[in-house]
Amino acid sequence: MFEAPEDRKYLESHEYATTDGETATVGISDFAQDELGDVVFVELPEVGDEITQHEEFGVVESIKAVSDLYAPVSGTVTAVNEALFDQPELVNEDPYGDGWLLEVEVADDRSSKTSSPPRSTASKPSERQ
Amino acid sequence: MTDTSRHERTDGSPYAPHTSEETAEMLAAVGVESEAELFDVPEPVRFDGELGIDSRSERELRAELSETLAKNDDLTEFLGRDHHSHYVPSVVEDLTRRSEFLTSYTQYQPEITQGFLQALFEYQSLLVELTGLPVANCSMYDAATALGEAARLAGRVRQASGTTVLIPEILHDNKREVLANYVDGTDLEIGTYPMDDGNVDVDALAEHVGDETVMVYVENPTVRGTIEERLAEVGEIADGADALFCLGTDVVALGLLEEPASVGADVVVGEADALGLPTAYGMGLGLFATRETFLRQVPGRLVGAGEDAAGKRAFTLTLQTREQHIRKERATSNICTNQAWVALRTAMHLAYLGPDGLVDLAGQCVREAESLSEALNGLRGVKAPVHERHHFREFLARTDQPAPAIARDLETNGFAVHVVDDHLLQVCVTDVNAAQTDALVEAFEEAL
Amino acid sequence: MNYDQARYGDEDRYEPLLSEKDTTSVDVDEASPLPEDLTRDSLELPRLSEPELARHYTRLSQMNWSVESGPYPLGSCTMKYNPSFTEDVAADPSGAVHPDRSDGTIQGTLELLYGLQDYLARIGGMDAVTLQPPAGAAGEFTGILVAKAYHEANDDERSEVIVPASAHGTNFASAAMAGYDVVELPSGEDGRVDLEALEAAVSEETAALMLTNPNTVGVFERDIEEIAEIVHDAGGLLYYDGANLNALLGQARPGDMGFDVMHYNVHKTFATPHGGGGPGAGPVGVTEELAEFLPSPQVREREGHYELYEPEQSIGKVHGYQGNWLVLVKAYAYIARLGDAGLKDAAAKAVLNANYLASQIDLDIPYGPFHHEFAATAGDRDAADVAKRMLDYGVHPPTTKWPEFVPEAMLTEPTEAESLDSLEDLADAFDSAMNDSTEEIESAPSKTTAGRIDQAAAARNPRLSWRALGEEE
Repeated sequence: MFEAPEDRKYLESHEYATTDGETATVGISDFAQDELGDVVFVELPEVGDEITQHEEFGVVESIKAVSDLYAPVSGTVTAVNEALFDQPELVNEDPYGDGWLLEVEVADDRSSKTSSPPRSTASKPSERQ
Repeated sequence: MTDTSRHERTDGSPYAPHTSEETAEMLAAVGVESEAELFDVPEPVRFDGELGIDSRSERELRAELSETLAKNDDLTEFLGRDHHSHYVPSVVEDLTRRSEFLTSYTQYQPEITQGFLQALFEYQSLLVELTGLPVANCSMYDAATALGEAARLAGRVRQASGTTVLIPEILHDNKREVLANYVDGTDLEIGTYPMDDGNVDVDALAEHVGDETVMVYVENPTVRGTIEERLAEVGEIADGADALFCLGTDVVALGLLEEPASVGADVVVGEADALGLPTAYGMGLGLFATRETFLRQVPGRLVGAGEDAAGKRAFTLTLQTREQHIRKERATSNICTNQAWVALRTAMHLAYLGPDGLVDLAGQCVREAESLSEALNGLRGVKAPVHERHHFREFLARTDQPAPAIARDLETNGFAVHVVDDHLLQVCVTDVNAAQTDALVEAFEEAL
Repeated sequence: MNYDQARYGDEDRYEPLLSEKDTTSVDVDEASPLPEDLTRDSLELPRLSEPELARHYTRLSQMNWSVESGPYPLGSCTMKYNPSFTEDVAADPSGAVHPDRSDGTIQGTLELLYGLQDYLARIGGMDAVTLQPPAGAAGEFTGILVAKAYHEANDDERSEVIVPASAHGTNFASAAMAGYDVVELPSGEDGRVDLEALEAAVSEETAALMLTNPNTVGVFERDIEEIAEIVHDAGGLLYYDGANLNALLGQARPGDMGFDVMHYNVHKTFATPHGGGGPGAGPVGVTEELAEFLPSPQVREREGHYELYEPEQSIGKVHGYQGNWLVLVKAYAYIARLGDAGLKDAAAKAVLNANYLASQIDLDIPYGPFHHEFAATAGDRDAADVAKRMLDYGVHPPTTKWPEFVPEAMLTEPTEAESLDSLEDLADAFDSAMNDSTEEIESAPSKTTAGRIDQAAAARNPRLSWRALGEEE
């Protein structure tokens, strides 16, 4: 039902990283974007920042949910998808293509096995109080 | 329901419409004999006693409460600090009491609540014009809690650089206490800087501001009614230390005094209820505006413009992921219920006044304070104003005789003023009590 | 029911903005009594004549839903009828006093506040009440600060507050604001607190457990005595979120269940109007052990004279003055109007209405027995779409998609104020919307002023003032 190309690895929290070569492209899966709904805001690190596997590196928000982003690999950020700042909907439209989040120069390839970091609490809407 | 007139009914809730036949029909539909059966409450925690609250009819209650409140002395108040009021025109009272506004809920279904959403969008827009800052939320509880939220915002956005929130040495105690509670659960500490003749001692402030400072809070007008003269320098000092400059003010003063954005304010807080809400024993409306940079750190609700399915402009609550119902313990604030209805009143009053009316009203606050302080200064044993500054609405008067005794005498003669200490009184004058200033001066003279 | 909401405006917009009706600019320096360097240069604002103003706001009011428009069954919100006479009482000019007046000159105000402290204490089974918190969330924050001060006074610093996963978002946020780590307690299978999970969660770090009872699916926590024992044995306090107190008025009291501290949502339980989002009031009640930590000032009576005083170990202030006076007066009037019998009847009818409505709709209700509200599930339909469609049937829909553990939740609280006829309208709206086609519910609403609003687009491009709209053009 949801696309999950095999040329990349996935965390259980649904972030992906491409696995070819020293530079990885990081994004969220088709399933994750669908669960979240219309993405309205993405908060990402800056070029040059270090990210660490299984640790938070940013936030993606829909109207009514917030989800922390966990790094599928460790490394140095070499590019950030700046198009998302104006068009966060690209994450929904093309999660594996134009909706990518980061390019990362992978620090150490030893830990390519993914495990399960704590799933972020994506909360849902309500009307009360 | 009994035969008693509805407004006199005391045997059940007069606001539950059920006739006994209807109640019986509903119980039968649910399949129980009595309402009591519907309560799944274990016996030990059921309440079988009497609360001891007598039901009174509507007529009795109106008489009783009117009698109770009439026990308040009828005084002409020359009181201000963080609770100012100006004459509120009847049209504002009348329109805000429309039940479509008064009895509506938060606009979680925007399609059916466009009216209130637009009114709140207009309130935000008016504050944007007044402050020059591009983001205003649609209300905090009052000026004190808005200051608390500003300090927490500063803590979040400047957490790497330090932990000190600097406030004026002379600040309303109530506000200081609220701020202390708002930062109690954070790493933030409150520090003070000295004042010079009522205003910020700018040179001393420069000494106090350092790397550890996350926010500098200044009021204009100050709690003593003085008007600040070097705000742009304060802005530069705060900026130089990468601290936020938070300016406390009120919605009338904003019409006349320097525009916050033009002196470098990062956050503006204060009393928006100075318009729209008459004296209400301290009930307020907290103004909160800030720069675009901090948009996602703003506490409370925001109304935004969007489009509906017909392609028309429509309004909706927006950026709700900041709020507690979505972000829970990581929300920018716990605020949910706010002061929306008071914001409606304030916006209405502002649109009624227009910019010329607002500037006139603010000008009156300066002129009346000046002429009343001059008149009091003419009395033997009184120096007013104490501070050699321009004043807005209120000022200090030094008295040779003990101030508490003078205030008591004034009270006996029908006037209320603030006692600041043994020989200092504070007097506040607005359009509401301006016609009684001669009488106040006369009573003052007698009290001396 | 046949329904069409008012819809003013033209092709591009509904009612024009104030700024689109008039924009007037003034040169401030010219009109100012102050030196030029102390004032702003100019000011640009709308200025409307009184007739124009009256028309603008009357039109806006007609494009707004309210309790007096029709049923408003938002679960957890208690949108009951707001009696008119309480407005008249609040408007009494004798009550319009400044909070810095001396006690002796405002005996009437203090007497009324003292009376309300007393009423609320009786209703909650508490020993002392502060009226200062201006909203429910402010009450939570105050209550948790009081709990914190109590522990600190016992040299017993604790770091955690336990909150059930199904709790109101404010509970999490209030505990965090007070500096606590929040420990989330998963819901048990029956929707209630799972005692084993609670046993596992409490420790010497537990400052408090925050609990709503009946909980957020309307089900009473039958194990409340055991829950209290577990929390108290660990040295923690039990906090009652008063959002659902309407179910229990005169029938059961938090104080009797072992709660140490609670807040009341005056704008829910005691019928003060919500005003489009506020003001409300969130008084906090506590047991005797906690009374000395309450905010300052409190009102007390000495030989017929009322006075303000500071409790011995007060946490200080949580509002610039004494909270939302106008709301508190209305609450007093409401409680006094109802009295013992009326309060008890309000709860009974609220519970009867919820149960009757539930019996008349075709939706599944997974958790029960419920009291004043129930969480129906829209099943394979999208609850938010069903809700939008209900708008077209002339009612306001329930709270949707919350609590989260109920799939496609429609949390419904009709309150005691709905008549049998009105409950039938509501039931019809539920069932009609549920039976309409997916296309119909996804394109709803069509009878409201605005059609479905694209909230994602509004959030991606936030325009929060008419200045922002102008800059775009």
